[in-house]
Amino acid sequence: MGIFRSHRRTEQLMDALTYFVLGAIVLFAILPLVWVFITSFKPESDIVTATLQYLPQHITFDNYLTLWRRSSFPTLIKNSAIVATMTVVICILLGTLAAYAISHYRFRGRDRLMLFFLVSRMFPVVLLLIPLFVMMKNLGLLDSHLGLALAYSSFLLPLCIWMLKGFFDAIPNDLEEAARIDGCTRIGALFRIVLPLARPGLVATAVFVAIGAWNEFLLALMLTTSQGSRTWPVGLQLMVGEFQLPWGQLSAGGMISILPVILFFGLVQRALVRGLTSGAVKG
Amino acid sequence: MSSRRQTIDRPVVAPNWGRSSFYALIDRLALISEGRYWAYFLLIPSMILLLAIIVYPIGSGILLSFRTMRLTRPDLGTPFIGLQHYADLMRDPVFRLAARNTVIWVVLGASSQFVVGLITALALNRKVRGIWLIRILVLVPWFLPSVVAGHIWALMLDPRLGVINDLLVKVGILDQYRSWFSNPVTSLPTVLTVDLWRSFPYFSLFLLAGLQAIPEELYEAASVDGAGYWQRFRQITMPLLAPVIVATVVLRVIGLVNSPDLLIVLTNGGPGNSTQVLSLFAFQTAYTAFNFGYAAAISVVILLLLMAFTVVYVRVSGAAKG
Repeated sequence: MGIFRSHRRTEQLMDALTYFVLGAIVLFAILPLVWVFITSFKPESDIVTATLQYLPQHITFDNYLTLWRRSSFPTLIKNSAIVATMTVVICILLGTLAAYAISHYRFRGRDRLMLFFLVSRMFPVVLLLIPLFVMMKNLGLLDSHLGLALAYSSFLLPLCIWMLKGFFDAIPNDLEEAARIDGCTRIGALFRIVLPLARPGLVATAVFVAIGAWNEFLLALMLTTSQGSRTWPVGLQLMVGEFQLPWGQLSAGGMISILPVILFFGLVQRALVRGLTSGAVKG
Repeated sequence: MSSRRQTIDRPVVAPNWGRSSFYALIDRLALISEGRYWAYFLLIPSMILLLAIIVYPIGSGILLSFRTMRLTRPDLGTPFIGLQHYADLMRDPVFRLAARNTVIWVVLGASSQFVVGLITALALNRKVRGIWLIRILVLVPWFLPSVVAGHIWALMLDPRLGVINDLLVKVGILDQYRSWFSNPVTSLPTVLTVDLWRSFPYFSLFLLAGLQAIPEELYEAASVDGAGYWQRFRQITMPLLAPVIVATVVLRVIGLVNSPDLLIVLTNGGPGNSTQVLSLFAFQTAYTAFNFGYAAAISVVILLLLMAFTVVYVRVSGAAKG
């Protein structure tokens, strides 16, 4: 009896501790975002004050309207969307084929290839950047959407292949074999059996790649030089540097640009988390 | 299956030339797919792209570190200078400072993020109400771009308008507002705090996945044998989680060493190089000084340090595991 009672007390203590930790950590993760959200609806007179104004005196949409109408922000968002879409198309198209081959066939150099994808993360961005810059310049791809999308693929394609391999590994081989016995060619089995089954994984990976491309800062800073292809993280940073962007508008810009990230992430978080973790566990 | 396949191979409707060439292509692909080189065939497109955007640039980047290349001085050309850049690095006081800061940045960054991430993962692994929503909320900072993450904290830590200053003064910890980023003593710890906020969810996510892969029966058996919570944690959780811990720590260290994004947004290495790290030094050398050869040499040193770290860390943790 004594053992059971102390056991139950420990359990209750652990539950209390769990709630405390979860509460604290959620506040830590979310409060900064809440603060920016509030700030984005404050008029400048409520932000720049002698004593800090926690809640706005009156809610205003001016920050959003000014940023959208008076600055290059819409162009930046459009550029980012184009580059992210191109990156997703490149990575998913090539990555699907490669990940399927790695997942389903045993061939020489297979393990070494997967290791190379991991090791490729170790290369410093600047080491990659300088030759890429020279290369893009020679090819006329500097300051273009395609050039940036190709540069993004250098870190997103290996990641994409790792994730997709995890999803393909989860599809039982029997189904494909049954189709093969029924006279399906290998390519037929890939398109009719494997890809439809892997669709949730493909969508999750595509979203992951899109978020990576949407958020990228360093490569874009160096490989874009004009309004024509500049992405929003670079544009926002430059606006802060050059025009001393007011806090209200900066907050509004932040909210606009993370909205698609949170939206997409919310939509596919279950499959995304599964995809990320299956790769990690099998590591 | 077979009947559907025939409609693809032999169209019933008389095809025009364009369509038949399409089917010819499909047939040809189907034929290749039966051959023994099918796997390689699927890999070719990715390999060509990765050769062009990773292998070739890295190779020429390493070669570049042995050459002079300054975009602002095209008159110098790109002569081979051997190990000159590396010799210069050894004498460069900024490089030495950046190397020291990098060690502090990585050790404090990785350990703080790991500890908070592990505690969070353990809490997230318990079955409580609404856990799915909590999991999403906790993960959000990791999916934010560094530019937004940086400015969120710059706003909260602002020396005149910052809410954190205000709260700390109200609670009584500070007597007046501080300028966190422009004080060389507080600048690095402050940026580390921002990175803790942004990156602890990475550890939470992967360690949670590792925890969920541990079979429930092991804990039940240990409980029956009278093992307490702490004992179960040490005897079951930690050993089984070890491979995931090693992998996540290696990847996080690589991330901390290689990405100066947050520092570019928040401090740009200042004040007085107090937040200067190697990756940022390499980036500034390339991006503002346009000294590509020197920047490449710094990057090669970073790469060598990372490789050495990874080999040693994986060996040591493997040996510790037994």
